[in-house]
Order: sequence, then structure tokens, then C-alpha cells
Amino acid sequence: MKTHRSGHARLVPALAAAHLRHDWILTLCLVIALTAVIAPLLVLLGLKHGTIETLRERLVEDPVYRELRPTQTQPYSEDWFAQVAAWPGVAFLTPTILPLSSVVQVVRADETTSLFDLIPTAAGDPFLLENGAPVPGENEVVLTAEAARLSGVAVGDRLGVRVSRTRGGRSENVQAELKVVGVLPIGAGTLTRIYAPLAFVLDVESYKEGYAAARRGWPGDTPDPYPSFDGVVLLLDEPLSPIVRTGAIIQTGFARIGEITRDQAEALLGLPIPQRLHAYDLSTPNTPITQSNIRAIQTKLRGREPLLLPYVRDLELIGADGRPWRPAGLSVDAAQAARLDLPPVPWGGFQARRERAEELTSVLWPTDAEANADSGVGSDMGLDSNPDADTRQGADDGIVVTSPGRTELSFVLRSLGPSPVSEPLAPIELLGILRTAQDRAVAYVASSGRFEMQRAGYRGFRLYAASLDDVPRLYRRLREQGLEVDAAIEAIERIQALDGGATRLFWLIALLGLCGGTAVLVASLYAAVDRLRAELGIIRLLGLSRAHVAFFPIVEGLMIAALSLAVSFGAYGALATVINRSFANELAPDERFCALPASLIAPIVLTTLLLACLAALVAAWRSTNIDPSEVVRAD
Amino acid sequence: MRDGQAPMVRMESIVKRRGQADSGFELRVPELRVDTGEVVALIGESGCGKSTLLDLIALILAPTSAVQFRLHLAGEGAGQDLAALWARGDEGALAALRREALGYIPQTGGLLSFLSVRENIRLPCRIKGVSLADRELETLAKRLGVAECLDRKPHALSIGQRQRVAILRAIAHGPRLLLADEPTAALDKPRARAVLADMNALACQQHLAVVVVTHDLDLLAEHVDRAYTFDLERLSESETRSTCRALDDAKRVIA
Repeated sequence: MKTHRSGHARLVPALAAAHLRHDWILTLCLVIALTAVIAPLLVLLGLKHGTIETLRERLVEDPVYRELRPTQTQPYSEDWFAQVAAWPGVAFLTPTILPLSSVVQVVRADETTSLFDLIPTAAGDPFLLENGAPVPGENEVVLTAEAARLSGVAVGDRLGVRVSRTRGGRSENVQAELKVVGVLPIGAGTLTRIYAPLAFVLDVESYKEGYAAARRGWPGDTPDPYPSFDGVVLLLDEPLSPIVRTGAIIQTGFARIGEITRDQAEALLGLPIPQRLHAYDLSTPNTPITQSNIRAIQTKLRGREPLLLPYVRDLELIGADGRPWRPAGLSVDAAQAARLDLPPVPWGGFQARRERAEELTSVLWPTDAEANADSGVGSDMGLDSNPDADTRQGADDGIVVTSPGRTELSFVLRSLGPSPVSEPLAPIELLGILRTAQDRAVAYVASSGRFEMQRAGYRGFRLYAASLDDVPRLYRRLREQGLEVDAAIEAIERIQALDGGATRLFWLIALLGLCGGTAVLVASLYAAVDRLRAELGIIRLLGLSRAHVAFFPIVEGLMIAALSLAVSFGAYGALATVINRSFANELAPDERFCALPASLIAPIVLTTLLLACLAALVAAWRSTNIDPSEVVRAD
Repeated sequence: MRDGQAPMVRMESIVKRRGQADSGFELRVPELRVDTGEVVALIGESGCGKSTLLDLIALILAPTSAVQFRLHLAGEGAGQDLAALWARGDEGALAALRREALGYIPQTGGLLSFLSVRENIRLPCRIKGVSLADRELETLAKRLGVAECLDRKPHALSIGQRQRVAILRAIAHGPRLLLADEPTAALDKPRARAVLADMNALACQQHLAVVVVTHDLDLLAEHVDRAYTFDLERLSESETRSTCRALDDAKRVIA
């Protein structure tokens, strides 16, 4: 009998099929009933996937929703970018610069111009890529739709941009020709923006700050820092009459001129002043004094042999041992030194930019410990507490100092000899540069021994999270660093809630439908078995076992389910086509309102068949209880 | 066992009880045998348990107790201990015996409504796993006068035709034992006589043993080799007992 098992495995389905064919009206009713459940569920699932996914992709997967924007401009270091870029969930991070430094003029064909924002981008920028634009390379840009419209260019055209700056009271500009490699869709924002590689943006910033961008042939300064001062002490052999005094500062950039006592002058300069000289203090409140101011006053006072000594207030240097000390600054030529009753200084007269960099980092160290004490800062002078001070000041390795400022500067001062005054004496330009470094970022390049202006640096960032779920985490992490950031947290949560709600709703309806469908199958198959009691009994009588007969309703259930699935998919296909056609106007070419992902078809089929099997189990159990001896005899 | 001497079906002291708590029916079979090629009639009034006995032999009803219940087919050694199979509840083995050795003609034909006549006749062959040539099927059908309705569904047949098809189906797969439960109950006498004659002719030709239940012995008196009848006893208001007893001379009784 074992040899017939496989035969029976085919026989039962054949009998079931024969029964379904014979009772075709009943079969049709069952298929219609199940189709009435499955087809709407397929359409519902298709709509959920199509609509919600379309919305999701439009809204949720819009990179804008994954962006975390800093709300304040503040400096960020290269290290910070390296660190944050490595955080999990960070898909893209690029530095940005000061908004004002990233504005360029776009020159149209008719020579009219308008101002556009320049936004740095880099490889992998999701905002560009997900909006269908390539990431621009060297000399390439991507425009927003509005920017393209205003500038009248399209992909493939060349875009002329002009970068302008004001330097020394004159307006200057340079032009660049950039290739438009992409235009973003209107949906990607209505601002007039130009996306360009970070390197180009940095060049624009440099040029605007007055520097050259050698790579592009843009002229400008080298990045030497300029000295700035709190004021100038004017020393004259003859006093100025009040009228001359007032006229002297007109158009020099100084706002105030006041006669001061010798003591006051000595306090400002940290130098002894010969009694025969008359001292005036020239300054402008809250505004630094630069070389051009000094030149201007010098010109005004030509003939009176003015001695102009710039000063810097409250400048402290920190010694290697951590103690602060105050230097005096003086740069004068030999003749001027003589007028001050001082020996000449090795670095000579005032020069805003010194060819020989080492002249700047020089110092004359006081030998007189008493003088140090007199100066009131002696005990703070760092070296004084060192018993080897005398040997050290003459040593070639110099004096290591740190200047606290905007960025802390560490450098080595060469001691060129003894100070003629009680304070350590340094070139006034050094003090001026250190004063500038308190407001502006200045770096000391040890290799060249020069100070350099640092670029304004990175003042912001463009950060995109890898997925929506990463946004809240990154948001918290940046906030923990004390950064004010803005992210579409609420919108994300709203959309996620909407999506979650729609999914739950679908499953609720699906559950209801599946329950209904299963109930239909259970009842129908049970009734079918009941109607077929006699015939199933005969089949048993003819030599099939209970197990084989139990298989009969299961096979019927599967066949009905399979037929219903086929009809349902057909109905779904027809309806989906109608739905998609009728909404075609509101959809992008590759978008569909009703779309069933192919990955879901197998699960749907398997689930339906499984449920049909489960539903048939009741009927199968019923069929095993049929006793042939009870049913072969018509009562 | 020795050929010719071992009965095909042997029942000894078999009891079948059926019924609920308030009313019981007990069938006792002290001794019953069916030999190869024999036609055995089970005769009695309705309710005497003759159909119950037939279903016991047809292996679709379990005996309540059995001292001896064997089925011995030619060339099969010691035969099958049916009592043991029932005791074990070996559903598969019993089903196998049904499809291998038995043919059953139900009272009302018992054709499957959703299969054509031809498919109905072929069904036991398919279940058994043997083939039945179309020609052989048609020859048999011709003999029973149902050749023209082979491709119809059973509901399109007359009752007589259905019974003939049922007979055809019961023997198509080459069983050793044919069981018939009042196969002619629904037919008038001449027609019934003809159907029974056909059945007997086929059984004879194929050397089948036949057990036929009837309350109308004269219809087949001429064919019967052995007959059993039943003695009904009313034990109480609700208890009835029926004991199967061999009729010494069936043909004489009828006469």
C-alpha cells in the first residue's frame, strides 16, 4: 500500500478538482466571495504603498527633512568636522563659511547682475543627488531652479560670476566662468542658490577678505597680519596750540587728541620719556589704530618732527612657567632713539611688514631685577623667578611664550641683549600683531617664523543624517555639544506618526478582511464537506484512509484560494491602472498612486494559501469523522 | 493454510454493540465463513443487523469484540488477522485491504456525483493503483448495458443503470470479495432479477466470493451457496440482541 501513497497524493487533488469543476457554481460563488475580500485588500495595500510611499518619498525622504542646520554662526575646527563626520548616522557633512562671505554676483548675458548665495558642496551631497543633480566638480556649479531662472541659464551653459571686494577704499572684482552641470527642481527650494565645491567657496571668501587666490589668478594680499594699536603717543619738542591740535586729527581716523603728563605717557608706553618732550594721546574709542592712521597724522604734522609711538594696552604674555608678564614695545630708528635718550633698538624703525620675519620675534631682556620689581610686574615676569634667568636670556634657544587671544599663539622670542628700560622690550609691531590676534584669527607658522592671518574659518556646516531615524539622535548629540541646531524634528515625528497610523489602519482593515475571508472559507469548506459526507464516505469505502480524505477539503481550500488570488490580482491590476491613469496629472512620470511592491506578492500569496489551509483544517477534521458505514446507506 | 480449505472470511464469536445508553442493539456472530467462489446470502427483516454484519465484513465497521476474524486471500500465507488490525486501529492497513481485495455495492449505488460514470468505474482502479484498459471497461459496460452512459454524470442515469454501474465499479479493480447491500432494493422485481443475474455471472466469471444482503431471498435463491439469518431477542424494553445463524438449506427454505 505504500507504493500507492504518491498515487493517492495525486488522486485526492484530482478528485477535489473534479468536485470543484462539477460544482462550478458553488466554486464560482466561493471564488467571488474570497475575491471580494482579497482584491480590495490588494488595492488598499497598493494605495497605501503607492500613496504613502509617494508622500513619504516626497516629504519624508526629502533630504531637507534629514538636514540639521546650525542656527548660529560660530567657528568650527577641522578636527570637529573630522570627528562629527565619523558619527554613526551622519550621511554628509561639509563646512560652510560666513554667509556674507559667500555671496557672489551673477552676470547675465546683458551684463546685469544680481546677488546669489554660494553654498559649498562635496561628493555625496544628498541634497543634490536626491534632487537628481550631480555634485559639481572643479569650475562647475549646480543651480536652484530660481537661480537658473533669474540667471537665464540651463544645464550645460556657462555661468559668469563676479566676486567683488573693497580694499583700501577701492572697489575691486574678479570674474569666473563656471559650467552649470545641474539645475535642481523647484521642489528643492525657491532660494537663489549656487552650489559649488568647497574649494571655490573658500577662494571667494579669501578674495573678499582681501587675499589673493593664486590658483585662480585672483590678486590680493598675502595673509600677513597687520598690527593694530589702542592709540598713539605723540611726542613733540614744542607744544601744539589747541587749534592746531584739533585740526591735526581731522581725516586721520583719530577721534581724540589729548595732552597727557609724562607719567601718563610713560604708563602707556612702558618707557621713560625725556622731560623736554610734550606728550599727547591720540586714540579712537573702540576702534583699533592702524598704520594708515599713523601715516596720516605723520603727514599732518610734517615739519613739527613728531615722534609717534603706538601703544597697546593690557597685553600680557604667558611664560613657559605659566606666569604672565607685560612687554613694552618700541620700534624707532637711531635718530628717534636718541631723541628718547635711548640706545638704538636692533630691529630699527616701524615697518608694518618686515621682510626678515625673525626681527619681529625679538626681545631685549631687562638685566636689572630691581627694575623689574619697580615695574610692578617683575614678580610676574616668569623668568625672574628662575634662578637661571640671566643665562637663559642670552641663550640661543630663546624664550617660549604664549599669547592668549582669539586663538592662542605660542612662539619663541629671541633675546638680542639687555633691555635699556625696566620692561622687556619688543618690537611694537609684534605687540600690534598680538593685539590684532585678540580680535582676528592669527596663526604663528613655526617653520617660516611668520605670523599669518587665519582664514575666517568654518562658521557653520551642512549636515544630513543617513535616515530620518538618525535625525533626533544627531540633534540631541549636537545639542549636547552646546550647538544650537535646527532640525525638522516635529515634522519628522508628525510624518512618522501619520505613516505609522496609516500602516496600523491598513493592518486593522487587513485583519478584518482576513478574518472575514477565513470565516468564508471555514464555513464554505465545512459546508462542502458536510454536503459531501456520503461521497467522502464512499471514497473511504473504496480504500482511502482518513488522512487522505482529510486532505480533500485542504486541497479544495487551496484551489479556491489560488483561483481567488488569480482573479484578485487581475482585478487589482485593472483597478490600479485606472487609479494611476486618473491621477496621472498629479504624479511624476515614475510615481504611482497605487503600486504593489513585487517583494510583497510572494508573502501575500503564501499568507492567503496558509490561511486557506488553516480554514480547511476545521473541515478536514470534520471529514475524518465521517464513518463510511453510516453514510453508504441512504436512510 | 491449505488451499481450498481455509475460508476466505472466517468469523468466530464476534460481537458488535451499537446504540446509546437508553437503547442498545447487539449483534452476535458465533460463526460465519465465506469460501472462495461462494455466494453467501444474509437474510433477515430490517433491523436484524444484516447490514451491520456486511459492514463488519467490508472492514468499515469495527467489531466490539472478536475471538477470530480473519481474511484469507489465495496465495497469501496465513491471511490477515482483522481482529488484531481493528484492535490496533491500523486504519491504513484496513484501507489497503479494502482497496486491494474488496468490492462494495452500496444500496443506492454510492456513485460520486462529481465524476462521470467512466471515472466512477475507474476510481477503485486508481485508488488501488492498477490500470483498466478502456476496451475492457467498455466490454464490461456493454455486458451490463451501460455502455452508452459511460460519459454521463450519475444524476443523468436511471436507478437501474446506477446500480449496474455500481456493480461494475465494485468489480473493476479485480477484488476477491464482492459485498452487496440490497443492491436491488430500489428496483422492481424483473429488473432486480436481471441485475442480480448479471452480478452473479460476473462474480462467477471472476471467481469472486459474494456476500449479499437481502430480505428477498427468492430473487437470488438459485445462486446462493450458503445463507445466514438472524434471531432477534428482545432482552428488555430497550435492549435487543440479534444472533446470526446459518440456514442449513437455503434453497429449501425459500422453496
